[in-house]
Amino acid sequence: MSDENSSCCNLTGSEPTATRSSAPMWIIVVTLSLLFFGGLYLDSHSGWFDAKVYAPYNSAEKLEVFQPKSGTAAAMARGKGLYEGVCGICHGSDGAGKAGQAPTLAASEWVTAISFNRLAHIPLAGVNGPMKVAGKDWNMAMAAMGAALPDDDLAAVLTYIRTSWGNNASAVTADDIKKIRAEIGRSPQAYTVEQLKVLPE
Amino acid sequence: MKTGFSVFAAAFIALGLSWCGLVYAPIQQLGGTKQTVVLQSSDKWPMQRTGDATLGLQVYRANACAACHTVQIRQTGVVHTLSITDLGVHKAVDFKAFMTSLMAVPELMKCSNSIVGSLNQWNGSVPKLLFSGEESAMVSMLGDKLKAVGVKTEARVETTGADIARGWGLRQSVAADYLYDTPVQLGSLRAGPDLANLGVRAPDVNWQLQHLYAPRSVVKSSTMPAFRYLFSVRKVGAQPAPDALALSKAFAPSAGFEVVPTAEARQLAAYLTSLKANVPLYEAPFTPITATK
Amino acid sequence: MNPTENNTVCPNELDASCRVPLLALFGGAAMWLVLSLALGLAAVMTFHQPDLFADCSFLTYGRAQAAANDLLLYGFTIPAALGVMLWIFSRLSQAPLALPMVPVVAANLWHLGVLIGTVAILIGESTGHPWLEYPRAAAVLLFAAFMLIAVTAVATFGARLNRELYPSHWFLFAALLWFAWSYSTANLFLVSHQPPRGVVQAVIGWWLANNLLFVWLALVGIGIAFYFLPKIAGQPLASSGYTLFGFLTLMFFGTWCGIPQGAPVPAWLPTVSAFGALLSVIPVIALGIVAKKTVCGAKVSCLGGTFCFMKFGVLSFVVSSLLYVSEFCPRYSRVLDFTWFNFGVTQWQLLGFATMILCGAIYEILPRVMARDLPFPKLAKLNFFLIAGGTLLFVIPLLIGGLEQGIKLRGANIPFADASAVALKFLRISTTGQLLVLLGALCLLLNVLVMTMQWKLGLVKSVIAAVTAPLKTPEVKS
Repeated sequence: MSDENSSCCNLTGSEPTATRSSAPMWIIVVTLSLLFFGGLYLDSHSGWFDAKVYAPYNSAEKLEVFQPKSGTAAAMARGKGLYEGVCGICHGSDGAGKAGQAPTLAASEWVTAISFNRLAHIPLAGVNGPMKVAGKDWNMAMAAMGAALPDDDLAAVLTYIRTSWGNNASAVTADDIKKIRAEIGRSPQAYTVEQLKVLPE
Repeated sequence: MKTGFSVFAAAFIALGLSWCGLVYAPIQQLGGTKQTVVLQSSDKWPMQRTGDATLGLQVYRANACAACHTVQIRQTGVVHTLSITDLGVHKAVDFKAFMTSLMAVPELMKCSNSIVGSLNQWNGSVPKLLFSGEESAMVSMLGDKLKAVGVKTEARVETTGADIARGWGLRQSVAADYLYDTPVQLGSLRAGPDLANLGVRAPDVNWQLQHLYAPRSVVKSSTMPAFRYLFSVRKVGAQPAPDALALSKAFAPSAGFEVVPTAEARQLAAYLTSLKANVPLYEAPFTPITATK
Repeated sequence: MNPTENNTVCPNELDASCRVPLLALFGGAAMWLVLSLALGLAAVMTFHQPDLFADCSFLTYGRAQAAANDLLLYGFTIPAALGVMLWIFSRLSQAPLALPMVPVVAANLWHLGVLIGTVAILIGESTGHPWLEYPRAAAVLLFAAFMLIAVTAVATFGARLNRELYPSHWFLFAALLWFAWSYSTANLFLVSHQPPRGVVQAVIGWWLANNLLFVWLALVGIGIAFYFLPKIAGQPLASSGYTLFGFLTLMFFGTWCGIPQGAPVPAWLPTVSAFGALLSVIPVIALGIVAKKTVCGAKVSCLGGTFCFMKFGVLSFVVSSLLYVSEFCPRYSRVLDFTWFNFGVTQWQLLGFATMILCGAIYEILPRVMARDLPFPKLAKLNFFLIAGGTLLFVIPLLIGGLEQGIKLRGANIPFADASAVALKFLRISTTGQLLVLLGALCLLLNVLVMTMQWKLGLVKSVIAAVTAPLKTPEVKS
C-alpha cells in the first residue's frame, strides 16, 4: 500500500501533544543583549525621528553641518531668489527694467561701476529725481527697498545683479553692506543723482 | 497561552504596535507634506507635472515599469571638499612647499600629509581638489588661510555613493520628490537603470519614444522588452506623420508604413522626461554647479 | 479507510464535515498554483527573448510577473492555508466543522476575487502597489471571503471539548487576525480614493508585504508544520514553552521589518526595520530548534511523503528567513538592494517554505477527507522532488546572480550592461528550476482534480442509483 496508508496506521487517532518545558536561558539572554545593542543602534542612527534627517546623516546636527555655506555659487542662487522677490517686480526678472516703472539693471553703469559704493546706497536709502541710466532719462522715485533686508541678503542681491545678464562686476560682501549702513544711519533721506555723485568711488 | 482570548490579545498588541509605528506615525509625519523650497533659493520643489506627464504616470503603473526600473537614488555619504580655483600670484612649483609651511599648525596637522602629498607633480591646472572629508572646520580654516594669501578656493558639499558616481543622480531621493505621485512607483529591481533623473539624462522625447518601440535600436545591449503595442503601425498617408518615429532599417516597418506613437506612448514619454531630481534640498544638501552666464 | 479510532468522535465524521469546503478551497488553489507558475515562466521568458510579447500587452513582463506573484500568494497560499487551518481546528477541537456551507460560499467568493484581480492586472488596471495589485473590487471580495472563513474557524475553535490549546492553535488563530488587519489597513489606505500623499504609500506597502510574506507565512506555515511533524514522527512537540517564546518573538519583532535600508524616507524608519530584523533572527532560530528536536530520533521513513514536505519546508523557513532579515543590514543592503536577490528570497519563502508545507498537508488531508486513496500516489512523491529540487534550482542561481549583480552595480566604472549580463547567465538556470516547479504543481493539480471528479462521479452514480431503484410498495391497509 502507499506511504499514506502506512503513515495512517502510525496515527492511532491521537492528536499531537507538546512537552511542557520552557525556553532555555541562553536564548533569553541573547534576546536581551540584542535588544540592548539594537537600542544603541537606534540611538545613533535614527536621527531621533526627525522628519528631515535621512540616512547617511545620523542626526539633525550632522545635517546642519553639511548645509553649504555661502560660497559664490550658493550666494548666486540665494541672490536670485531674493532679487525676484524684492526687486524683480519693477526691474524685471531679466533685469531689463520696465518703461515707466524702473530702469534697466543690465548694462547699467550704476550697477557695473568698479566700486559698488554708489550702487549700494540706492537700495539702502532710495533715490529720486532725474537720472540717466544706460543712455535713457528717468525721473522717478525709488523707496529704500533694500533697507529691510539683512546685510548678507542685500549683499547676495547686489552680487547677483552685478554678475548677471552680461554684467561682470565684482561681488559685494555682507561686511561691505554693514559698513555702508553704519555710514548712512538709521532713516536716511533718498539720494539724488548729485548726492550720489558726491560719494567716493 | 491558555485561552483564545489571550492569543488574540497578544497578536492584537504586537500588530497594533507595528501599525502605530510603521503606518500611523509615518502618515502623521509624512502624509501632510507640502511643497518644500530648494536649498538657498526660493524655487519650490517639487513642481507639478504637466497633464500629459501626470497621465504618463498611470501608463507607467499600468505597464508595471516599476518591475524592472527603480526611481530612487541612494547615497552612502556626504563630504566637504575644498578646491583651488585660482592660484593668484603663486606658482605651482613652489606651492607644495608653501602648503607644508601653511599646514604646520596643530589643527591642520592630521591631514597635512595627504593634502601635501596630493600636490606632488601638480602642474598648476585648476580646479585642484585639496581636501575631501567630513570635517567642515578643516575646510573653513584652510580656505581662510589660503584666501589671506590671495589663493582663491571653493568650498563645496558633495554627495558620494555608487548611484551618484554612476551619474544616475546628484543626491539621494527624499520624501519630497514623490509628493505628487499617486501611486508612488519606487521599484525594487534594477533590471534596467534607475530613472529618477532621467529627464536630465535623456530629455529628448523622441529618444524616449524610440527606446520604447525598439529598445535595442538605441541601446544595443538592452534586455528591455519592446513595447510595440503602445504604437500603431499604419500606412503612410500623402505625407509622413509629423510624429512618426525615425527608425533604422532593422527596426523600421515595411516600406510604405510608418510607426506613430499612441496617446499612451506620448504620455509615458512626457512622464519619463519629467523625472528630475537635480536640485539640493535641506534634507539632501549639495553645492550645485551653477552655470556661468 | 482510516482505522477505527479510540476517541468518542470518529475522525471520519470530522473529516467528512470538512470535505466540501476543503475541496472548494484546495481545488481552486491548485489551479491558481499552476497558473501562477505558468505566468511566471512566461514572464521570465522576456529576459531570454525580449521581443516575445512585444505586441501582446497582457503578457508584458511587469504585468505577467505581478499577476504570477499575486496568484501564488492570494490564489494558492492563502486559500490552501485556510483550508488546512479549518481541518486542523476541526481535528484539534474534536468537533465537526462549524457552519459547513459558509466556507464553501467563501471559497467561491475568494476564487472569484482572485480571478477578477488577475484579469485586472493583465489588462493594466493594477493598483501599482507591490503585492497589493488587485483593484478595489477584488480586494473587497477577498476580504469578505476571508472574514467568512475566519468566522467558521473561530466557531470551530470555540467548539473544542478540550479547552487546552495546542501550539498550532496559537499560530493559526493569530494568523486570522494578522491577515485581516494588515490587508484591510493596506487596502483602506492605498486602494482608495484619497491615498495619503507621497512616499508614505510605499511605507504602508512595505509594511503589508513584510506582514504577509514573512510573519503571516511563518505563522501558518509553522502552525501547520508543528501539527504534522509531531503527528507523523509519533513524538510530542519538543517544547511548548520554547514554542511560545518563538511565537511571541515572531509576532512582536518580525512585524517591524520591511523598510529597505536605502529607502527615500526619514532615517528612523529603516533604522527601526534594521532593529526589528536583527531581533527577528531569534524566533527563526528558536522555532527551527524546536522543529529539529521534535523530528530528532523519529523512526519514520520518508521517500517523498508528507514528512519530507514538512521537513524541507521548515528548513526552507529557517534559511529563507535568515536571508530575508539579512537584507535589512545596512552593509549588505547596499550591495543586495535592487538585485535579483530580493526576488529569490521571496520565492524561496513562498515556494520552498509555504508551498511545500501546504502541498504536504494537502496530500495528508485529502485522502482522509475524501475517504479514498490518492489517485496518483507516485505523482505525489514525484511532486516532492520536483518542487524541492525545482525551488532550489530556481532560487539559488537568483541569489548568487543577484549578489554578483549587486557587486558589479557598486562599481561605478562597470557599465550597467555588464551587471545585467551577469544576472542573465544565472537566470537561464533558474528558469529551468521554474519549469520543474511547474511540473510538480501539475502533479498536485492532477491529484486534486481527479480526486474531485472521482468523488463527483461517485455522487452522480449514487444519485442515479437512488433515482432508478425500485420503489418499495406501500403496505396496503386492511
